[in-house]
Parts: sequence; C-alpha cells; structure tokens
Amino acid sequence: MNDVLTFETMGTVVSLRGAAAAAASEVRAVFAGYDHRYSLYDPSSVLSRVADGTIRLPDTPEQVRDVYALALDWRERTGGAFTPHRPDGVVDLSGVVKALAIRDAGAVLDEAGADWMISAGGDVLVRGMHRGVEPWSVGVVDPAHRDTVVGVVRLDAPRRAVATSGTAERGEHIWRRTAPTFVQATVVADDVVTADVLATAIVAGDEEDLGRFTSDVDVDVLAFGADGRVWATPGASSWVTTGAAQVP
Amino acid sequence: MRARAVAGGIVSSIAVLVIGWQLGGQPAVTAPSQSTTSGTASGSGSSGNGSSGSTASGTGGSSVSGTFTGDATETRYGPVQVRITVAGGKITDVTALQLTDHDGRSVQISQQAAPILRQEALAAQSASIQAVSGATFTSEGYTTSLQSAIDKAGL
Repeated sequence: MNDVLTFETMGTVVSLRGAAAAAASEVRAVFAGYDHRYSLYDPSSVLSRVADGTIRLPDTPEQVRDVYALALDWRERTGGAFTPHRPDGVVDLSGVVKALAIRDAGAVLDEAGADWMISAGGDVLVRGMHRGVEPWSVGVVDPAHRDTVVGVVRLDAPRRAVATSGTAERGEHIWRRTAPTFVQATVVADDVVTADVLATAIVAGDEEDLGRFTSDVDVDVLAFGADGRVWATPGASSWVTTGAAQVP
Repeated sequence: MRARAVAGGIVSSIAVLVIGWQLGGQPAVTAPSQSTTSGTASGSGSSGNGSSGSTASGTGGSSVSGTFTGDATETRYGPVQVRITVAGGKITDVTALQLTDHDGRSVQISQQAAPILRQEALAAQSASIQAVSGATFTSEGYTTSLQSAIDKAGL
C-alpha cells in the first residue's frame, strides 16, 4: 500500500504518490535539469556562471532567458514584492525554479496517471483524488509552533496547488522591503507557480500588497501576521479546522 | 480613487481571523499540558529508526495503523526527527524524537513533544493528510521529517 517514492534534490526532499517507477525517474530528471541550470550552489550551473560573469544573460540558452522573463513578469505583477534580483545584483531564480520543476513534473505525471501528488519542500501539486476517494490533503504548519498543524487544505480541482513561504526561506530568495508584516503565507492556486510566487510576495510585502494580490489573482490565502493576527480569504477560512474562525 | 478601490479590495477579499490564538493549536479539548512522555499512545518502545505499522485490508480508504519514524533531518541547529502515530490512516499523534531550539540546544523532548493534529483527530475531523506545507524557517527540518514519516506510513 506504500506507494510513496522519495528523492532528494534542490536541497529538499521530493515525495511522489501515484507515480510508477518510470514516471518517477522522469520526474527526477526534470528536477535535476532545473538544478543544473539554476542552482547558485553549483558553481558550474548556467546561472552561477552568469553570476560570476563567465557568460552574459543574453547568451544563455533560451529556456533560461524564458525563466528570467517569467520571473520579471511576476515582479511586475507583484509590484516588485517578488523579484529575481538579489540586493547585490545577482540574478537568482530560485524563487520560481522549484515551482517550475514541480509544474513540469506535473506534466510528466499527467501522462502517467489520473491521481497523483507531488510534494517538494512544502510546495504541493496534485491531480485527482487520494486513493480515488478523498481530496488530497495538506497540513499547514503553524509558524509559531512548528509542531502544530493549524489547518488542513483539501485540494480540489481546479485548485490543485499549495505553497507556503516564511520570512527567512532557504536560499534567502525573499528580501523584504520593510519590516515584515507577515511571517508566513500559504497560497492555494490553480497552478503551483502562482501559489509559490505569491506566497513569497506576500511575505515580502505588506497588507496593501496582500489585498492587491487577492483582488487581482484568483487564489486562497492564509497569512500569519508578525503581530499575531491571522488573515484568510473566505475560501481559506475553512482550512482552519480547529475552533471557530470568526470573520467580522 | 485607486487607493480607495484597493482598500475596498482588502476589506472584501481578506478577513482577519480575530481569534488568532485559537489557530495556534490551543489544546482546547485534550492534551494535558504537563503530561510527560510516558504516555501510552506513542511511547511504544520501538527503538532506533524503526517503524512498526500494519496495513490491514479494510473497507474504504486507508487503514494504515502503527508508528512511523521520519528521517532525521539535519538543520544548522542540529538534527530534527519526528515520529507519527497512525490509526486507520489518520495521524493521531506526532512526537518529536529530536528537536533543537534556535540556540542550538537540544530541547527536552518531554517538554516539547506537543500534540499535533490531535485536536482535529479527536474532533473526528479527518486528520488524514498526505503532505505538510510550512516555511522552512519556521519548521527547521520539522516538516521534512514529518513528511518523511507520512511517506513511510504511505498515507
């Protein structure tokens, strides 16, 4: 019954459910490919060589430039809350690369089956149902109590993706413009790139940014403020299964 | 104009959950707050890294039961390791076998093994989850080990 496959990549662990061995190795290759191109920990990666000046960004392969363009597009859409540029000017695409790898892995898994889940470092993408009978369910960890799950997200198409970001993520791909308003944000969206980028942007932004994102983009959000308040879109209120979430 | 529209958007699309503390896993029903690790549910002497579980063939959904120990996850503060107790495919308890705080000290497990999901489980909500999502900063390896335990249980 244990049909879970796991492997390590990008400094995290990927869990796969509902995938046969062949599809799983293809998924693994997808992640390895992204890591090879975009890892700033690997000095031989394309992006590391851009960072050290060995190659210019315009001379990189088209797919690398496409990812950079996608990141720039998200910078525009988030009013700069999300950015692919480190303060020192280095182009860092780690804010989108994991989600893109999950997205592409999803395309692989789509070919192989109707019910699957992929989870990578807290980003989750699913299709269909768990064991064909119940929605795939993801626990959201309390930012103040790491050993507590504060809510359960049940993913139901078209809402197939969830991502969570915090104030000091691995890779330091979040750079706050101001004092932090939010310490953690979980976003559920139809696609995993949107979920991941907006989770990052919410933590990097403030209340006004949050309001703008939720007005502009069709997502559900559960965000934990640094002041202890918890913010939720109407769709997200139901995730919080404990207690009565009072909505004024 | 524009600013006002944005403000309106905030009001209409986001609501503050005022009872924030309730979300923090207040052990409303259960969890005698001073209980030690000598509790029965998860202290079933399975040693080392072992997991003991059974997968009975039941009706409808998962019927996995047992304890499942996640991989120890190295963090810059030290190893973090989690064990879950599963009954009928649902997590009924999570125990931290190894934890470190942000000063790098090993945390006394007897004080830190807080109930996770317990309230949902007892409230007969489905505490059946296949993945966890949390900020890495927050969890410092915790979610990784917890996910590992969930994976081993095959939930």
